Amino acid sequence: MSIRHLRAVFRKEVLHIFRDRSTFILVLLTPISLLFIMAYALTVDIQQVPVAVLDRDESRLSRRFVHQLTVGEELDLHARVDSLGEIDALLRRGRIKAGLIIRPPFERQLITADGAPLQILIDGTEPESGAFAMDQIARRADAFVGQVLAQEAGLGMTLDGLSSPIQYHVTALYNPALKPRVDMVPGLISLVLGFPALSVALTLAHEREHGTLEQVMVTPVSRAELLIGKMLPYLAVGMVNVVVIPLIALITFDIPFNGSFSLFFLLSIAFLFAMLSMGTLVGVFMRTQPAALALSFLVIFFPGFFMTGIFFPLASMPAEVRLEAMFLPGTHYAVIARSVFLRAAGLAQLWPQSLALLGLGTLFVSVAAFSFRKKLG
Amino acid sequence: MSDEQAVIETEKLTRDFDDTRAVDGLTLSIETGTLFGLVGPDGAGKTTTLRLLAGLLDITAGSAAVAGFDLARDPEAVKARIGYMAQRFSLYGELTVTENLSFFADLYDVPRSELAERRERLLDFAGLSPFRTRPAEKLSGGMKKKLALACTLIHEPPILLLDEPTTGVDPVSRREFWDILTELYLEGTTIVVSTPYMDEADRCSRVGLMYEGRMIVSDTPQRIRDSVEGDLIEVQTDDWEAARDAAVDFPGVLEVQTYGETLHLLVDSAEERLSQVRDRLEDEGIPHRSLRRSAPRMEEAFISLVRELERDGARPTQERR
Repeated sequence: MSIRHLRAVFRKEVLHIFRDRSTFILVLLTPISLLFIMAYALTVDIQQVPVAVLDRDESRLSRRFVHQLTVGEELDLHARVDSLGEIDALLRRGRIKAGLIIRPPFERQLITADGAPLQILIDGTEPESGAFAMDQIARRADAFVGQVLAQEAGLGMTLDGLSSPIQYHVTALYNPALKPRVDMVPGLISLVLGFPALSVALTLAHEREHGTLEQVMVTPVSRAELLIGKMLPYLAVGMVNVVVIPLIALITFDIPFNGSFSLFFLLSIAFLFAMLSMGTLVGVFMRTQPAALALSFLVIFFPGFFMTGIFFPLASMPAEVRLEAMFLPGTHYAVIARSVFLRAAGLAQLWPQSLALLGLGTLFVSVAAFSFRKKLG
Repeated sequence: MSDEQAVIETEKLTRDFDDTRAVDGLTLSIETGTLFGLVGPDGAGKTTTLRLLAGLLDITAGSAAVAGFDLARDPEAVKARIGYMAQRFSLYGELTVTENLSFFADLYDVPRSELAERRERLLDFAGLSPFRTRPAEKLSGGMKKKLALACTLIHEPPILLLDEPTTGVDPVSRREFWDILTELYLEGTTIVVSTPYMDEADRCSRVGLMYEGRMIVSDTPQRIRDSVEGDLIEVQTDDWEAARDAAVDFPGVLEVQTYGETLHLLVDSAEERLSQVRDRLEDEGIPHRSLRRSAPRMEEAFISLVRELERDGARPTQERR
């Protein structure tokens, strides 16, 4: 391995990143903007969430309560229905995000502070809206109860120190776990940090297309020098993102960061190495940029999205998918990111994932170096 | 290495692409210090031959040695001793002229102590000194070619392989490029250059004509010109179409080639046919402005050889000497 060759390739690639605008945008700006777009798409302020009400109590207080729900912009009373079947149908068709069922004796139990039952059905396929609707209903119910207790019972009591006189029975349909956003952002970080991998795949294909690779192939540069020299600049750029992106996540999305940042930084580098090796492998086999782009999405991003447990729990997948997921750096990094962010996990817990990242990176880059030949055609 | 020694030698060199045989049993010997012009119609296998010699393609069958190293066994040793210039402009567009030169200097391990001096000399040599800080993609077509050549020369290779270096370049730049090549040739560099231009083939010390993956002729330009059987009569006429159609049937005319409004008639003997052609044109009522004997050039030789091959259909089994 000649340091001079390595440095020449490295320097050339750095100049390329900074002088070629589209590469610069792809490498440095896309991950940041993507994090914003995706995180916001998942957490936008929800308004006018459609709900339906089935009022079986049909009392004065239950009617006042239903009226209270529709004050403000947050909830939209889509329908008053007469049967459970109608709520079910509306939920299935996605017309409402939540259904509220008031059963008798709501009024009487409310007055006697006996635990008036409220049943809420939530569309778990959209946990954000469902959870939001539930939260709104509960909040209004609490406020309502406060009013009622004060007025009706004349007790002048507040709810402080008392358990709420309403018993909530919440059932989230389709997605009982209701994974919150706090869990999602570290996963998103692992997704956007993978972007330099795409750049590496594209830059190799770009050089093939433009014939520059042909000119480099006739020089005595070795395969490893060429591939590593090309990977290193993207690793450096990726490290910038490793610092910037968690900071943005912490500041903008109010995510807790409980673990060690230096550990997170080190393991992120291991993840970048694994991803860049994967990108290099793609770039070695593809002749054109569109092909490299397509294959990157096919083997890096789609599986990264669906099979790494970021959005869909791995435990729910078939064994073959789980096995395949073990070959995706994102699977291991998602665990690392979540654990460090939220659970303050250390190397004592995360060593299997860390080793997996290093192993995968070494595997991919070795296969790439052996498959890459200084030949055309 | 003595001057007579072959620096490029191939023995039944063959390369297949899927179903096509791009290079077909090429046996070739190029001596040190030769300026070898590789000519032939498109698809004859010129680019494949040069890429094989540069170690960029695997050999399907046969063997080749460049600078004394076997290409199949030791391609990297060959790469350190050759300069190869691809047909397409293939330098880094965002890098400046000097950055491109330095990049290749590093990859070729040019001694650092010599780097600055060599770079300046090449910039000067290629006429690129005023443009040293310009990004390569902003250079004109001719300057790009000169920069590519300069990058190819940075490690002072004894052998140069150039694939159509002047295609798509204006005539002035083309002339300048060839002046540089001639200078390198005079310094003793072995150069193999493919070209579609016959006037360039005329400037080579040896010319090889490729056809369907084979070397049909390999000789000096003079001998190739002389090998054309017959003489050339040049006719300038106001009605060249009528003249062309009529001339095909004239006695002793082997071939008719048109160059704009000028006709070149290849005849078995100019002395005998010159007056006959004049008489026949007058008989046919075709006015001519001038009618004269001229020496066959590379171009006529090339066209005549290729036509002969296309007519025969069969591939000659031996090199013609």
